[in-house]
Amino acid sequence: MIEVNSLTKRYGAFTAVDDISFSCQPGRVTGFLGPNGAGKTTTMKVLVGLAPATSGEALIGGHRYADIPNPGRHVGVLLDASAQHAGRTGREVLTLAAMEMGLPRTRVDEMLALVSLTPAEAKRRIRNYSLGMRQRLGIAHALLGDPSVLILDEPANGLDPAGIRWMRSLLKEYADRGGSVLLSSHLLNEVELIADELILIGHGRVVAQGDKQTLLEGTHHDVTLVTSLDNTALAAAAEEHGFSVEAAGQGLRIGAATVEVGRLAADKQIVLTDLRSGASGLEDLFLELTSSTQRDDLGGVA
Amino acid sequence: MTTEQIDRPLTLDLSGTPRTPFLRLVRVEWRKMLDTRAGFWLLAITGLMLLLTISLTLLVVTLTDSTVTASGLSEILMLPVSVLIPVFAVLTVTNEWGQRTHMVTFALEPRRLRVIAAKLSAVSGLAVLTIVVAIVLGALGNLMYGVLTGNEVVWDLEASTLAWAVTVQILFFLMGFGLATLLLNTPGAIALFYLFGFILPFMVYAPLLAFFDWARAVLPWVDMNLAGAPLMAGVDLTGRIVEVGLIDYARFGSAVLIWVVIPVTLGSLRVLRAEPR
Repeated sequence: MIEVNSLTKRYGAFTAVDDISFSCQPGRVTGFLGPNGAGKTTTMKVLVGLAPATSGEALIGGHRYADIPNPGRHVGVLLDASAQHAGRTGREVLTLAAMEMGLPRTRVDEMLALVSLTPAEAKRRIRNYSLGMRQRLGIAHALLGDPSVLILDEPANGLDPAGIRWMRSLLKEYADRGGSVLLSSHLLNEVELIADELILIGHGRVVAQGDKQTLLEGTHHDVTLVTSLDNTALAAAAEEHGFSVEAAGQGLRIGAATVEVGRLAADKQIVLTDLRSGASGLEDLFLELTSSTQRDDLGGVA
Repeated sequence: MTTEQIDRPLTLDLSGTPRTPFLRLVRVEWRKMLDTRAGFWLLAITGLMLLLTISLTLLVVTLTDSTVTASGLSEILMLPVSVLIPVFAVLTVTNEWGQRTHMVTFALEPRRLRVIAAKLSAVSGLAVLTIVVAIVLGALGNLMYGVLTGNEVVWDLEASTLAWAVTVQILFFLMGFGLATLLLNTPGAIALFYLFGFILPFMVYAPLLAFFDWARAVLPWVDMNLAGAPLMAGVDLTGRIVEVGLIDYARFGSAVLIWVVIPVTLGSLRVLRAEPR
């Protein structure tokens, strides 16, 4: 549904986006992941026609965004939740958008209810909104025209854990109904929770893309965090087997898969109180892929 | 990709979606001018100043038993309109940048020229509306003048005078709009507007005109007030009645070029190309 082909965006000598290509499928939430300044926002601005591409193209459903008539009815956009007039009320912002898109005013109430902004909150001016409330309003704004594509820049920013969970279920339902979602984040764990597909971007280049499982399988980090009633004995047993051992908080970090550590403990009859994988998943992968020495070599991981 | 996804369309069907009608864009821009506190108070203060102006004028005229006519009244009432309302022309543009709502505006209507045209239409509509209000108030004031003083009421507001007054008002609105699109910054655009629209003409040009020949030769070509005076009222800089000739139109054209055509053109180009951040 979203097709980005060899997109490059330069500002003078600075290359913000460097020959990136990716696509987003209907029915999937695609996470666009990268540190601050990696080129996520720039890519999204080119996608929605706010900035021209230096070369390459970005298409939504086969069209350039600027060629889509009344685009709010097809593509929901949230680029910056704070980019709303601080003196308008939340309801007024949605009313203006509904007017422009030619929607009935009842749609405004529906959207306010959908994002759990109460009538009292909707009457307040946006300068009194928390970032989380602005994000909810931004989501309502993006969904107002019942679009089939959503483009959201850092939508989970400022949401509390309950808010992130809410957004996950909202976007999941939206995708299950056939919608396409592209959302960006610099917080890897957050996107790991929400997205089905991932595009990792660093220094303006796509360093990896694919579905979450495929990407994670590429990381062979056998690290286990374990706590037992007798850590000393467990450490000795692990070292005996040639695994690396170091203290980590209350327990140990052992350089072996969880199943190995569990087996070890069973053999030695040590009672485990906590056993889990210590691989931090995407974050490790991400740091590995975007570290400046490797980024060029690993361009084709996916 | 799994099989269930293949059935889903990968293209957007745009056949059922007409372009956003231009009038709808104008209505949205109109509402955006007035739905903030700044917009509300600006309009409220303009209304209050109009009422205050007409009351004061009538009071003074009645107490001193002097005479006033319809054209004099409407000229006086045009002042609050010309001072405050052009700020709307500035704010409709600079607010989008200051509050960064341009991202939303241009995402909902990527054809930015249509947005610019909608804003221009909304602002011009407001200009015309406030002028009409000023004229109606002037007419009411004129009637009250007749009642209060017992003097004969003079209806001397000619259509051509009125047309020119409205034209010049709208040109000043457009000047504010042009400066706003050029600077994309509220304080800067308002300061420049007042500097070139009011402060220089009254504080600087007036003494220059009184003392220097070169000022009398040059300023009517660059200042809209000076260039417009002969066309509007048939008088020259010193208030002498003049025959309006081709040169007066040329001067007016030159001033309009400098303060309206060039700023609006360059400013619109800037807006078309600007990348919201």
